[in-house]
Amino acid sequence: MLQYLIIQLDDTSTSYCHYYNGKRNRNLISIDTLKSGIMFGMKENLMIQYILPDYELPDEYYEVLESIDHSKIASSGSPYASVADVVVLNGWNKDYAFDIEGVYVLRVDKRTLFEKTSEILKVLKECARLNIVITDVEKFSDADFETYKSVLDSFSKELEALYVAGKTPQLNLLTDRMMLDGMNNCNAGSDSITLAPDGRFYVCPAFYLAPDDEDYGLGKSKVSVGSLASGLDIKNPQLYRLSHAPLCRNCDAYQCKRCVWLNRKTTYEVNTPSHEQCVVAHLERNASRALLMDIRKHGTFLPEKEDIKEISYLDPFDVRKEW
Amino acid sequence: MEKNDEIKDVDRGWLNGAAKTITFIVTKDCQLACKYCYLVGKNENERMTLETAKKAVDYILDNRSFFKEESVIWEFIGGEPFLEIELIENICDYIKIEMFRRNHPWFNSYRFNFSTNGINYHTSKVQNFIKKNWYHLSLGITIDGTKRKHDLNRIWKTKEMEMGFQPKPEDERGSYDDVVRNIPLWLSQFPKAATKVTISSADIPYIKESVLHLYSLGIHEVNINVVYEKVWKEGDDVVFENQLVQLADEIIDNGYYQDFACSFFSETIGKPMDIHSDNRNWCGAGRMLSIDAHGNFYPCTRFAQYSLRSKKARTIGNIGNGIDLNKVRPFIVLDRILQSPQECIDCEVASGCGWCQGENYDAADTPTAYQRATAICKMHKARVRANNYYWNKLYRKLEHEGVAREKAVKHVKSESSNTINC
Repeated sequence: MLQYLIIQLDDTSTSYCHYYNGKRNRNLISIDTLKSGIMFGMKENLMIQYILPDYELPDEYYEVLESIDHSKIASSGSPYASVADVVVLNGWNKDYAFDIEGVYVLRVDKRTLFEKTSEILKVLKECARLNIVITDVEKFSDADFETYKSVLDSFSKELEALYVAGKTPQLNLLTDRMMLDGMNNCNAGSDSITLAPDGRFYVCPAFYLAPDDEDYGLGKSKVSVGSLASGLDIKNPQLYRLSHAPLCRNCDAYQCKRCVWLNRKTTYEVNTPSHEQCVVAHLERNASRALLMDIRKHGTFLPEKEDIKEISYLDPFDVRKEW
Repeated sequence: MEKNDEIKDVDRGWLNGAAKTITFIVTKDCQLACKYCYLVGKNENERMTLETAKKAVDYILDNRSFFKEESVIWEFIGGEPFLEIELIENICDYIKIEMFRRNHPWFNSYRFNFSTNGINYHTSKVQNFIKKNWYHLSLGITIDGTKRKHDLNRIWKTKEMEMGFQPKPEDERGSYDDVVRNIPLWLSQFPKAATKVTISSADIPYIKESVLHLYSLGIHEVNINVVYEKVWKEGDDVVFENQLVQLADEIIDNGYYQDFACSFFSETIGKPMDIHSDNRNWCGAGRMLSIDAHGNFYPCTRFAQYSLRSKKARTIGNIGNGIDLNKVRPFIVLDRILQSPQECIDCEVASGCGWCQGENYDAADTPTAYQRATAICKMHKARVRANNYYWNKLYRKLEHEGVAREKAVKHVKSESSNTINC
């Protein structure tokens, strides 16, 4: 069921996820479109999330934004970073001043993550929550999987020490799975929808920001699913739901993003993840399992949660016949 | 006819379909322009080279981990494959040599498979190829039935057609006479061979006469199916059902069921299907491999561009980079329920109602293989009613003749009917 309306306020508003935003020319949503979008969200009972640009909005915009309960996403370079609910760091900046109460998205490629692990893990004690988004997860090789495993081990050791010391920072890659009892994915197209400056709806910002000529094989990446004028019109909506994701609905890597945009790009089907997305998610899941056991060695921790069971695979596709 | 207690069933294919099927689209050209043909992009330009075929063979034989099946069917299609008989012979020679040289298990378990329009069947090149490879050959000639039924759809291509002009009906030239002359030779070489009949809207009234005509030609197995495309008109299902009931009467009253089979009639169709135990995909797309003239790999030929009306070709790799396993995953995990609308899931006569994965993709609202096309719904239900009539009548007759039901059934399938006639 739809719960969130994400409003991309400008073409240049930051990416906060796997997709890349290469737009450099400002294209601010019109004030009328913004108002209509907010009205749509109110009528559909949707929680609104604004993705703010890196420049000051005209005053009349800010008044409209504040006319409804919402959350704000802004890049670290935005004038709204200080008031944002989620701040996005595009790339690693070791000199960035984190807020101990802050929630951050760190968008990094695998190489940066692997090379800067020791620096990045120090952030865990400088903020309330860190979401690490690997921007080229679809390019992981077998060697990268091994490296990623050791990276997760490093983060795990840091988290264990912090939790034993009584602190409770969150790292999406490791702590989410410990807390979850069921799938908690992105669910774009199912739980959330995006309104773009052109007044059209998109499954997520990635489907709007794709270059006009981008085509991974079956047609243009940029595809809208209706508009404010004509209404929301998601074709084959069932394919965005977990119930119609043949691998994911049987999976217990609950923290996985299950990114429909990556799915579309890598397998051509929005409901089918790539091998790389599955293995990365299961490395995280297994590292979460180990972390949970390690923390529990020091005393009672999340007593209401069961142990995460041991599994023998990293890609559910490899064991599909067992279901 | 000699008294026979048995009911002939359709053949379920070599090794019950367990072999890997690898299809070479050797040409996209054909002498005919069949009106129901799903190959909307046929042309004379895209001919596979031997070099491309060799690279494909090398890749396939080098990657046993991707091709684990114990047996293989090397299939050659077009257009009309026998337009490229010399190329095919060279490819087959290369396959045999390479399977032997690599000590590949498939050397001891392979077939060469062809479905031809039959026009060039008698030529010396084709006949030499058949003699050379007969032991490993499966070869079907497509003949649609009586002359008027066959010639209604299976007409010769003209230069004007290639330029986009359709001939007047009186100017159309059917191909029946050019095909039927080769049927005796074909049956003398492949006595158990089957033919494939396709039914579209216009030829429904000729189903009964066509099946009986094919029997009279000596073809003992007629695999017949309605097209999956959205071509059906109001009332077609009624005419279809009447034709099948009349056909049932002819088959039963004349005892043809003992030695002849028609795939329209099957004991396993028309039953509800369990959402768990009967959840297999109908189609084998993704478990097969098709290769086109450019060396592109497809999950099935129906995903190549020349087969698609409204969608882009859906490749799963190529001879240079190999198979992209991520592109294959959606096909392997696809099941019946995932792609079916609720109406199909709840259907009381669901078994035996099939689909073509490529047509599903082509007709879907988005570029997905996960949306089942249901254009044949009424036709399937009509088939089920006629099929019920057939078996009720047949078993009543057998009871009167004192033949035990169990003894009568020669090949009752253990699971749902998955006779796929693509």
